[in-house]
Amino acid sequence: MPEILVQYEAEIWQSIGETITMVGVSILAAILIGLPVGTLLFLSRKGHLLENPWTFSILNLLVNIIRSFPFLLLVVFLIPFTRLIIGTAIGTASACVPLAIIAIAHYSRLVEQSLLDVPKGVIEAAISMGASVKDVIFKFLYVEARSGLVLGLTTSIISFISYSTIMGVVGGGGIGDFAIRYGYQQFKTELMIYMIIIMIILVQLIQFIGTAVARMIDKR
Amino acid sequence: MINLDQVSKNFSQFQAIKSVTLTIPKGEIHGIIGASGAGKSTLLRLMNLLEAPHAGEVEVNGQSLTTLNNKALRGARKSIGMIFQHFNLVANKTVYDNVAASLELANYPKKERRNRVVECLQFVGLEGEMERYPAQLSGGQKQRVAIARALANNPQVLLCDEPTSSLDPNTTAEILDVLQNINKRFGVTIVIVSHELDVIKSICNRVSIMAEGEIYDTVIIEPTGIQKKDNRPEYFIEQLAENGGLGHA
Repeated sequence: MPEILVQYEAEIWQSIGETITMVGVSILAAILIGLPVGTLLFLSRKGHLLENPWTFSILNLLVNIIRSFPFLLLVVFLIPFTRLIIGTAIGTASACVPLAIIAIAHYSRLVEQSLLDVPKGVIEAAISMGASVKDVIFKFLYVEARSGLVLGLTTSIISFISYSTIMGVVGGGGIGDFAIRYGYQQFKTELMIYMIIIMIILVQLIQFIGTAVARMIDKR
Repeated sequence: MINLDQVSKNFSQFQAIKSVTLTIPKGEIHGIIGASGAGKSTLLRLMNLLEAPHAGEVEVNGQSLTTLNNKALRGARKSIGMIFQHFNLVANKTVYDNVAASLELANYPKKERRNRVVECLQFVGLEGEMERYPAQLSGGQKQRVAIARALANNPQVLLCDEPTSSLDPNTTAEILDVLQNINKRFGVTIVIVSHELDVIKSICNRVSIMAEGEIYDTVIIEPTGIQKKDNRPEYFIEQLAENGGLGHA
Protein backbone atom coordinates (compact mmCIF):
# COMPACT_ATOMS: atom_id res chain seq x y z
CA MET A 1 0.00 0.00 0.00
CA PRO A 2 1.33 3.52 -0.78
CA GLU A 3 2.98 5.10 2.18
CA ILE A 4 0.70 8.11 2.28
CA LEU A 5 -2.37 5.90 2.65
CA VAL A 6 -0.78 4.06 5.53
CA GLN A 7 0.07 7.37 7.17
CA TYR A 8 -3.55 8.57 7.03
CA GLU A 9 -5.23 5.20 7.41
CA ALA A 10 -7.23 6.11 10.50
CA GLU A 11 -8.53 9.36 9.00
CA ILE A 12 -9.41 7.64 5.72
CA TRP A 13 -11.40 4.92 7.46
CA GLN A 14 -13.18 7.52 9.52
CA SER A 15 -14.09 9.54 6.45
CA ILE A 16 -15.34 6.42 4.67
CA GLY A 17 -17.50 5.71 7.72
CA GLU A 18 -18.91 9.25 7.60
CA THR A 19 -19.71 8.92 3.91
CA ILE A 20 -21.44 5.60 4.53
CA THR A 21 -23.48 7.17 7.34
CA MET A 22 -24.55 10.17 5.24
CA VAL A 23 -25.36 8.11 2.16
CA GLY A 24 -27.06 5.44 4.28
CA VAL A 25 -29.38 8.00 5.89
CA SER A 26 -30.12 9.42 2.42
CA ILE A 27 -31.04 5.95 1.11
CA LEU A 28 -33.32 5.33 4.09
CA ALA A 29 -35.04 8.69 3.58
CA ALA A 30 -35.42 7.97 -0.13
CA ILE A 31 -37.05 4.60 0.46
CA LEU A 32 -39.13 5.40 3.55
CA ILE A 33 -40.37 8.83 2.45
CA GLY A 34 -39.35 9.35 -1.20
CA LEU A 35 -41.07 6.18 -2.37
CA PRO A 36 -44.46 7.03 -0.79
CA VAL A 37 -44.18 10.68 -1.95
CA GLY A 38 -43.38 9.57 -5.51
CA THR A 39 -46.25 7.11 -5.42
CA LEU A 40 -48.61 9.84 -4.25
CA LEU A 41 -47.32 12.16 -7.00
CA PHE A 42 -48.19 9.46 -9.51
CA LEU A 43 -51.58 8.55 -8.03
CA SER A 44 -52.76 12.14 -7.61
CA ARG A 45 -51.99 13.07 -11.21
CA LYS A 46 -54.82 13.88 -13.56
CA GLY A 47 -56.52 10.73 -14.81
CA HIS A 48 -54.99 8.51 -12.14
CA LEU A 49 -56.36 6.51 -9.25
CA LEU A 50 -56.42 9.21 -6.57
CA GLU A 51 -56.66 12.19 -8.90
CA ASN A 52 -56.39 15.33 -6.79
CA PRO A 53 -55.12 18.57 -8.34
CA TRP A 54 -54.29 20.13 -4.96
CA THR A 55 -52.22 17.26 -3.64
CA PHE A 56 -50.44 16.92 -6.95
CA SER A 57 -49.68 20.62 -7.36
CA ILE A 58 -48.38 21.07 -3.84
CA LEU A 59 -46.14 17.99 -3.90
CA ASN A 60 -44.98 18.78 -7.41
CA LEU A 61 -44.08 22.34 -6.45
CA LEU A 62 -42.25 21.26 -3.29
CA VAL A 63 -40.20 18.67 -5.12
CA ASN A 64 -39.34 21.17 -7.84
CA ILE A 65 -38.34 23.88 -5.38
CA ILE A 66 -36.06 21.57 -3.39
CA ARG A 67 -34.45 20.29 -6.56
CA SER A 68 -33.90 23.74 -8.01
CA PHE A 69 -31.69 24.86 -5.09
CA PRO A 70 -27.97 24.61 -5.76
CA PHE A 71 -27.26 21.98 -3.12
CA LEU A 72 -24.75 24.08 -1.20
CA LEU A 73 -27.37 26.82 -0.81
CA LEU A 74 -29.95 24.30 0.34
CA VAL A 75 -27.56 23.17 3.09
CA VAL A 76 -27.06 26.76 4.27
CA PHE A 77 -30.74 27.63 3.92
CA LEU A 78 -31.73 24.63 6.05
CA ILE A 79 -29.35 25.43 8.92
CA PRO A 80 -32.10 26.82 11.23
CA PHE A 81 -34.26 23.78 10.54
CA THR A 82 -31.34 21.42 11.13
CA ARG A 83 -30.57 23.15 14.41
CA LEU A 84 -34.20 22.76 15.42
CA ILE A 85 -34.29 18.99 14.98
CA ILE A 86 -30.69 17.92 15.70
CA GLY A 87 -29.78 20.65 18.19
CA THR A 88 -26.70 21.74 16.25
CA ALA A 89 -25.98 22.57 12.63
CA ILE A 90 -22.50 21.08 12.70
CA GLY A 91 -21.37 17.45 12.37
CA THR A 92 -22.22 14.29 10.48
CA ALA A 93 -25.67 13.92 12.07
CA SER A 94 -26.60 17.49 11.10
CA ALA A 95 -25.28 16.95 7.59
CA CYS A 96 -27.80 14.14 7.22
CA VAL A 97 -30.76 16.56 7.41
CA PRO A 98 -30.29 18.41 4.10
CA LEU A 99 -29.09 15.17 2.52
CA ALA A 100 -32.29 13.40 3.55
CA ILE A 101 -34.40 16.23 2.18
CA ILE A 102 -32.72 16.29 -1.21
CA ALA A 103 -32.84 12.47 -1.24
CA ILE A 104 -36.61 12.48 -0.80
CA ALA A 105 -37.11 15.05 -3.56
CA HIS A 106 -34.69 13.31 -5.90
CA TYR A 107 -35.98 9.76 -5.54
CA SER A 108 -39.68 10.68 -5.44
CA ARG A 109 -39.37 12.15 -8.93
CA LEU A 110 -37.71 9.01 -10.22
CA VAL A 111 -40.38 6.86 -8.56
CA GLU A 112 -43.10 8.90 -10.24
CA GLN A 113 -41.41 8.40 -13.62
CA SER A 114 -41.04 4.65 -13.12
CA LEU A 115 -44.69 4.30 -12.19
CA LEU A 116 -45.74 6.30 -15.26
CA ASP A 117 -44.10 3.58 -17.34
CA VAL A 118 -46.49 0.92 -16.03
CA PRO A 119 -49.08 0.27 -18.76
CA LYS A 120 -52.43 1.75 -17.79
CA GLY A 121 -54.11 -1.46 -18.89
CA VAL A 122 -52.45 -3.41 -16.09
CA ILE A 123 -53.95 -1.03 -13.53
CA GLU A 124 -57.34 -1.32 -15.21
CA ALA A 125 -57.14 -5.10 -15.12
CA ALA A 126 -56.37 -4.91 -11.41
CA ILE A 127 -59.36 -2.65 -10.77
CA SER A 128 -61.62 -4.89 -12.82
CA MET A 129 -60.59 -7.77 -10.54
CA GLY A 130 -61.74 -5.80 -7.51
CA ALA A 131 -58.36 -4.49 -6.34
CA SER A 132 -58.31 -1.69 -3.76
CA VAL A 133 -55.89 1.23 -4.11
CA LYS A 134 -53.53 -0.53 -1.68
CA ASP A 135 -53.72 -3.74 -3.74
CA VAL A 136 -53.03 -1.81 -6.94
CA ILE A 137 -49.92 -0.21 -5.40
CA PHE A 138 -48.35 -3.24 -3.76
CA LYS A 139 -49.54 -6.12 -5.93
CA PHE A 140 -49.43 -4.47 -9.35
CA LEU A 141 -47.65 -1.08 -9.58
CA TYR A 142 -44.56 -1.94 -7.56
CA VAL A 143 -44.33 -5.40 -9.10
CA GLU A 144 -44.49 -4.06 -12.62
CA ALA A 145 -42.23 -1.05 -11.97
CA ARG A 146 -39.68 -2.83 -9.77
CA SER A 147 -36.70 -2.75 -12.13
CA GLY A 148 -37.25 0.96 -12.80
CA LEU A 149 -37.49 1.59 -9.08
CA VAL A 150 -34.17 -0.18 -8.51
CA LEU A 151 -32.44 1.65 -11.36
CA GLY A 152 -33.82 4.95 -10.07
CA LEU A 153 -32.53 4.20 -6.60
CA THR A 154 -29.13 3.36 -8.06
CA THR A 155 -28.98 6.70 -9.86
CA SER A 156 -30.13 8.42 -6.67
CA ILE A 157 -27.52 6.73 -4.49
CA ILE A 158 -24.77 7.90 -6.83
CA SER A 159 -26.12 11.43 -6.59
CA PHE A 160 -26.24 11.12 -2.79
CA ILE A 161 -22.54 10.23 -2.77
CA SER A 162 -21.86 13.31 -4.85
CA TYR A 163 -23.97 15.52 -2.57
CA SER A 164 -22.25 14.08 0.52
CA THR A 165 -18.82 15.24 -0.71
CA ILE A 166 -19.60 18.87 0.00
CA MET A 167 -20.85 18.30 3.54
CA GLY A 168 -17.47 19.45 4.87
CA VAL A 169 -18.96 22.97 4.89
CA VAL A 170 -21.02 22.01 7.94
CA GLY A 171 -18.43 19.67 9.40
CA GLY A 172 -20.11 16.57 8.04
CA GLY A 173 -16.83 14.99 7.01
CA GLY A 174 -16.73 12.15 4.53
CA ILE A 175 -14.33 11.14 1.76
CA GLY A 176 -14.89 14.29 -0.28
CA ASP A 177 -14.16 16.54 2.66
CA PHE A 178 -11.02 14.55 3.49
CA ALA A 179 -9.80 14.82 -0.10
CA ILE A 180 -10.26 18.59 -0.06
CA ARG A 181 -8.79 19.29 3.35
CA TYR A 182 -5.81 16.94 3.22
CA GLY A 183 -5.33 16.41 -0.49
CA TYR A 184 -6.12 19.79 -1.97
CA GLN A 185 -5.54 22.32 0.78
CA GLN A 186 -2.36 20.65 2.02
CA PHE A 187 -1.04 20.10 -1.51
CA LYS A 188 -1.00 16.31 -1.17
CA THR A 189 -2.24 15.77 -4.71
CA GLU A 190 -1.42 12.07 -4.53
CA LEU A 191 -3.75 11.67 -1.55
CA MET A 192 -6.51 13.51 -3.38
CA ILE A 193 -6.16 11.22 -6.36
CA TYR A 194 -6.40 8.14 -4.15
CA MET A 195 -9.61 9.51 -2.66
CA ILE A 196 -11.01 10.10 -6.14
CA ILE A 197 -10.12 6.51 -7.01
CA ILE A 198 -12.00 5.27 -3.94
CA MET A 199 -15.06 7.27 -5.04
CA ILE A 200 -14.84 5.90 -8.58
CA ILE A 201 -14.65 2.32 -7.31
CA LEU A 202 -17.60 2.96 -4.99
CA VAL A 203 -19.76 4.41 -7.78
CA GLN A 204 -18.82 1.64 -10.23
CA LEU A 205 -19.68 -0.97 -7.65
CA ILE A 206 -23.07 0.56 -6.88
CA GLN A 207 -23.94 0.96 -10.55
CA PHE A 208 -22.86 -2.61 -11.27
CA ILE A 209 -24.99 -4.04 -8.45
CA GLY A 210 -27.98 -1.82 -9.33
CA THR A 211 -27.92 -2.76 -13.01
CA ALA A 212 -27.49 -6.46 -12.24
CA VAL A 213 -30.37 -6.52 -9.75
CA ALA A 214 -32.65 -4.54 -12.08
CA ARG A 215 -31.92 -6.92 -14.93
CA MET A 216 -32.47 -9.97 -12.76
CA ILE A 217 -35.92 -8.90 -11.59
CA ASP A 218 -37.07 -7.60 -14.98
CA LYS A 219 -39.19 -10.22 -16.73
CA ARG A 220 -40.85 -7.89 -19.20
CA MET B 1 -78.02 -10.61 -16.15
CA ILE B 2 -76.97 -7.11 -17.10
CA ASN B 3 -79.34 -4.19 -17.08
CA LEU B 4 -78.43 -0.71 -18.27
CA ASP B 5 -81.13 1.84 -17.64
CA GLN B 6 -80.81 5.19 -19.42
CA VAL B 7 -77.09 5.30 -18.86
CA SER B 8 -75.09 8.34 -19.99
CA LYS B 9 -71.38 9.06 -19.93
CA ASN B 10 -69.57 12.27 -20.88
CA PHE B 11 -65.87 12.93 -21.36
CA SER B 12 -65.70 16.66 -20.63
CA GLN B 13 -67.80 18.12 -23.48
CA PHE B 14 -68.10 14.91 -25.47
CA GLN B 15 -71.16 12.72 -24.93
CA ALA B 16 -69.71 9.22 -25.26
CA ILE B 17 -72.87 7.39 -24.24
CA LYS B 18 -76.29 8.97 -24.67
CA SER B 19 -78.98 7.49 -22.44
CA VAL B 20 -78.54 3.85 -23.41
CA THR B 21 -80.95 1.20 -22.18
CA LEU B 22 -80.01 -2.44 -22.70
CA THR B 23 -80.88 -5.75 -21.07
CA ILE B 24 -78.67 -8.78 -21.53
CA PRO B 25 -80.26 -11.95 -20.14
CA LYS B 26 -78.29 -14.53 -18.17
CA GLY B 27 -76.37 -16.98 -20.32
CA GLU B 28 -76.40 -14.86 -23.47
CA ILE B 29 -73.37 -14.06 -25.60
CA HIS B 30 -74.00 -10.47 -26.57
CA GLY B 31 -72.01 -8.58 -29.15
CA ILE B 32 -71.45 -4.84 -29.36
CA ILE B 33 -70.35 -3.64 -32.77
CA GLY B 34 -69.89 -0.25 -34.37
CA ALA B 35 -67.41 2.11 -35.96
CA SER B 36 -64.47 3.64 -34.10
CA GLY B 37 -65.59 6.19 -31.55
CA ALA B 38 -69.14 4.85 -31.47
CA GLY B 39 -68.82 4.28 -27.72
CA LYS B 40 -68.76 0.48 -27.64
CA SER B 41 -65.76 0.12 -25.32
CA THR B 42 -67.15 2.80 -23.05
CA LEU B 43 -70.47 0.98 -22.89
CA LEU B 44 -68.66 -2.22 -21.88
CA ARG B 45 -66.59 -0.41 -19.26
CA LEU B 46 -69.78 0.95 -17.73
CA MET B 47 -70.80 -2.64 -16.97
CA ASN B 48 -68.19 -2.99 -14.22
CA LEU B 49 -67.98 0.74 -13.53
CA LEU B 50 -64.43 1.09 -14.87
CA GLU B 51 -66.18 4.19 -16.19
CA ALA B 52 -68.71 5.72 -13.83
CA PRO B 53 -71.89 6.89 -15.58
CA HIS B 54 -73.08 10.48 -15.20
CA ALA B 55 -76.68 9.38 -15.22
CA GLY B 56 -78.66 6.19 -15.23
CA GLU B 57 -78.43 2.85 -13.46
CA VAL B 58 -76.15 -0.12 -14.04
CA GLU B 59 -77.38 -3.42 -12.67
CA VAL B 60 -75.30 -6.62 -12.88
CA ASN B 61 -76.10 -9.99 -11.28
CA GLY B 62 -79.14 -8.42 -9.62
CA GLN B 63 -77.02 -5.75 -7.90
CA SER B 64 -77.25 -2.07 -8.71
CA LEU B 65 -73.57 -1.15 -9.08
CA THR B 66 -74.27 2.57 -9.22
CA THR B 67 -75.57 2.61 -5.64
CA LEU B 68 -72.72 0.62 -4.07
CA ASN B 69 -69.96 2.13 -1.94
CA ASN B 70 -66.32 1.50 -2.93
CA LYS B 71 -65.87 -1.62 -0.88
CA ALA B 72 -69.10 -3.24 -2.05
CA LEU B 73 -68.25 -2.32 -5.64
CA ARG B 74 -64.88 -4.06 -5.32
CA GLY B 75 -66.73 -7.13 -4.07
CA ALA B 76 -69.18 -7.00 -6.96
CA ARG B 77 -66.34 -6.75 -9.48
CA LYS B 78 -65.00 -10.09 -8.34
CA SER B 79 -67.95 -11.79 -10.03
CA ILE B 80 -67.53 -9.75 -13.22
CA GLY B 81 -64.52 -10.96 -15.18
CA MET B 82 -62.89 -8.83 -17.85
CA ILE B 83 -60.42 -9.41 -20.67
CA PHE B 84 -58.77 -6.84 -22.93
CA GLN B 85 -57.36 -6.37 -26.41
CA HIS B 86 -53.81 -6.05 -25.08
CA PHE B 87 -54.28 -8.77 -22.44
CA ASN B 88 -53.02 -6.55 -19.58
CA LEU B 89 -51.12 -9.29 -17.79
CA VAL B 90 -48.56 -8.37 -15.15
CA ALA B 91 -45.31 -8.88 -17.09
CA ASN B 92 -43.25 -9.45 -13.95
CA LYS B 93 -45.49 -12.23 -12.65
CA THR B 94 -45.45 -15.81 -13.91
CA VAL B 95 -48.50 -17.26 -15.61
CA TYR B 96 -49.32 -18.98 -12.34
CA ASP B 97 -48.98 -15.79 -10.29
CA ASN B 98 -51.07 -13.78 -12.73
CA VAL B 99 -54.00 -16.14 -12.21
CA ALA B 100 -53.31 -16.48 -8.49
CA ALA B 101 -53.40 -12.68 -8.07
CA SER B 102 -57.07 -12.65 -8.92
CA LEU B 103 -57.77 -15.29 -6.23
CA GLU B 104 -55.64 -13.42 -3.73
CA LEU B 105 -57.65 -10.24 -4.30
CA ALA B 106 -60.86 -12.19 -3.67
CA ASN B 107 -59.47 -13.74 -0.45
CA TYR B 108 -59.91 -17.18 -1.94
CA PRO B 109 -58.99 -19.79 0.71
CA LYS B 110 -55.19 -20.11 0.61
CA LYS B 111 -55.03 -23.89 0.64
CA GLU B 112 -57.31 -24.20 -2.36
CA ARG B 113 -55.64 -21.53 -4.48
CA ARG B 114 -53.13 -23.80 -6.15
CA ASN B 115 -55.78 -26.28 -7.24
CA ARG B 116 -57.99 -23.53 -8.57
CA VAL B 117 -55.17 -21.91 -10.58
CA VAL B 118 -54.19 -25.26 -12.11
CA GLU B 119 -57.83 -26.01 -12.88
CA CYS B 120 -58.28 -22.68 -14.70
CA LEU B 121 -55.03 -23.07 -16.63
CA GLN B 122 -56.03 -26.59 -17.64
CA PHE B 123 -59.31 -25.24 -18.93
CA VAL B 124 -57.48 -22.87 -21.28
CA GLY B 125 -54.84 -25.49 -22.12
CA LEU B 126 -51.85 -23.80 -20.48
CA GLU B 127 -51.13 -26.01 -17.47
CA GLY B 128 -47.67 -26.68 -18.95
CA GLU B 129 -46.69 -22.98 -19.00
CA MET B 130 -47.31 -22.10 -15.36
CA GLU B 131 -43.78 -21.00 -14.52
CA ARG B 132 -43.23 -18.94 -17.66
CA TYR B 133 -43.55 -15.17 -17.95
CA PRO B 134 -45.98 -13.40 -20.32
CA ALA B 135 -43.10 -12.18 -22.51
CA GLN B 136 -42.34 -15.81 -23.35
CA LEU B 137 -45.88 -16.50 -24.62
CA SER B 138 -47.62 -15.90 -27.93
CA GLY B 139 -50.53 -13.46 -28.19
CA GLY B 140 -53.08 -16.26 -28.14
CA GLN B 141 -51.47 -17.80 -25.07
CA LYS B 142 -51.46 -14.44 -23.30
CA GLN B 143 -55.16 -14.05 -23.95
CA ARG B 144 -55.72 -17.56 -22.57
CA VAL B 145 -53.91 -16.59 -19.37
CA ALA B 146 -56.09 -13.48 -19.17
CA ILE B 147 -59.17 -15.66 -19.61
CA ALA B 148 -57.98 -18.05 -16.89
CA ARG B 149 -57.38 -15.06 -14.62
CA ALA B 150 -60.85 -13.69 -15.32
CA LEU B 151 -62.44 -17.11 -14.72
CA ALA B 152 -60.66 -17.90 -11.48
CA ASN B 153 -63.29 -16.37 -9.22
CA ASN B 154 -66.21 -18.08 -10.98
CA PRO B 155 -67.68 -14.91 -12.45
CA GLN B 156 -71.25 -14.81 -13.66
CA VAL B 157 -70.40 -12.26 -16.31
CA LEU B 158 -67.37 -11.98 -18.59
CA LEU B 159 -66.71 -8.65 -20.33
CA CYS B 160 -64.48 -8.85 -23.42
CA ASP B 161 -63.01 -5.66 -24.86
CA GLU B 162 -61.83 -6.43 -28.41
CA PRO B 163 -60.51 -9.79 -27.21
CA THR B 164 -59.25 -10.96 -30.59
CA SER B 165 -58.33 -7.68 -32.28
CA SER B 166 -54.60 -8.17 -31.91
CA LEU B 167 -54.66 -11.86 -32.86
CA ASP B 168 -54.37 -13.64 -36.21
CA PRO B 169 -57.45 -15.41 -37.68
CA ASN B 170 -56.55 -18.91 -36.46
CA THR B 171 -55.82 -17.76 -32.95
CA THR B 172 -59.00 -15.68 -33.03
CA ALA B 173 -61.02 -18.80 -33.79
CA GLU B 174 -59.34 -20.64 -30.90
CA ILE B 175 -60.04 -17.87 -28.42
CA LEU B 176 -63.66 -17.61 -29.55
CA ASP B 177 -63.92 -21.35 -29.02
CA VAL B 178 -62.69 -20.97 -25.46
CA LEU B 179 -65.23 -18.20 -24.83
CA GLN B 180 -68.04 -20.30 -26.26
CA ASN B 181 -67.00 -23.18 -24.01
CA ILE B 182 -67.10 -20.95 -20.95
CA ASN B 183 -70.59 -19.88 -21.88
CA LYS B 184 -71.82 -23.45 -22.46
CA ARG B 185 -70.14 -25.15 -19.52
CA PHE B 186 -70.53 -22.54 -16.81
CA GLY B 187 -73.47 -20.52 -18.10
CA VAL B 188 -71.42 -17.32 -17.95
CA THR B 189 -73.03 -14.30 -19.59
CA ILE B 190 -70.54 -12.88 -22.09
CA VAL B 191 -70.41 -9.42 -23.61
CA ILE B 192 -68.01 -8.94 -26.52
CA VAL B 193 -67.01 -5.63 -28.01
CA SER B 194 -65.57 -6.00 -31.48
CA HIS B 195 -65.29 -4.19 -34.76
CA GLU B 196 -64.95 -7.50 -36.58
CA LEU B 197 -68.22 -8.71 -38.00
CA ASP B 198 -66.99 -12.32 -38.27
CA VAL B 199 -66.24 -12.47 -34.56
CA ILE B 200 -69.72 -11.31 -33.67
CA LYS B 201 -71.38 -13.57 -36.22
CA SER B 202 -69.56 -16.68 -35.11
CA ILE B 203 -70.44 -16.70 -31.41
CA CYS B 204 -73.03 -14.10 -30.42
CA ASN B 205 -76.70 -14.72 -29.78
CA ARG B 206 -77.58 -11.07 -30.20
CA VAL B 207 -75.69 -7.99 -31.24
CA SER B 208 -76.16 -4.32 -30.43
CA ILE B 209 -75.12 -1.98 -33.19
CA MET B 210 -73.74 1.29 -31.86
CA ALA B 211 -73.37 4.64 -33.54
CA GLU B 212 -72.53 7.98 -31.95
CA GLY B 213 -73.03 6.87 -28.37
CA GLU B 214 -76.38 5.24 -28.94
CA ILE B 215 -77.59 1.72 -29.63
CA TYR B 216 -78.90 1.92 -33.15
CA ASP B 217 -80.51 -1.47 -32.99
CA THR B 218 -80.22 -4.85 -31.29
CA VAL B 219 -80.65 -7.82 -33.58
CA ILE B 220 -80.72 -11.59 -33.20
CA ILE B 221 -78.05 -13.66 -34.90
CA GLU B 222 -79.38 -16.89 -36.41
CA PRO B 223 -77.24 -19.80 -37.61
CA THR B 224 -78.02 -18.76 -41.19
CA GLY B 225 -76.64 -15.29 -40.64
CA ILE B 226 -77.69 -12.01 -39.15
CA GLN B 227 -81.45 -11.66 -39.03
CA LYS B 228 -83.55 -8.68 -38.24
CA LYS B 229 -87.15 -9.21 -37.26
CA ASP B 230 -88.14 -8.22 -40.77
CA ASN B 231 -85.88 -10.97 -42.16
CA ARG B 232 -83.50 -8.81 -44.11
CA PRO B 233 -80.08 -10.31 -43.45
CA GLU B 234 -78.29 -7.51 -45.23
CA TYR B 235 -79.85 -4.87 -43.02
CA PHE B 236 -77.10 -4.91 -40.41
CA ILE B 237 -74.31 -4.50 -42.90
CA GLU B 238 -76.15 -1.71 -44.66
CA GLN B 239 -76.59 0.09 -41.38
CA LEU B 240 -72.93 -0.19 -40.55
CA ALA B 241 -71.92 1.07 -43.94
CA GLU B 242 -74.21 4.05 -43.49
CA ASN B 243 -72.61 4.85 -40.15
CA GLY B 244 -69.09 5.04 -41.44
CA GLY B 245 -68.33 1.35 -41.74
CA LEU B 246 -66.03 -0.72 -39.60
CA GLY B 247 -62.93 1.09 -38.50
CA HIS B 248 -60.29 -0.06 -36.09
CA ALA B 249 -61.18 0.51 -32.52
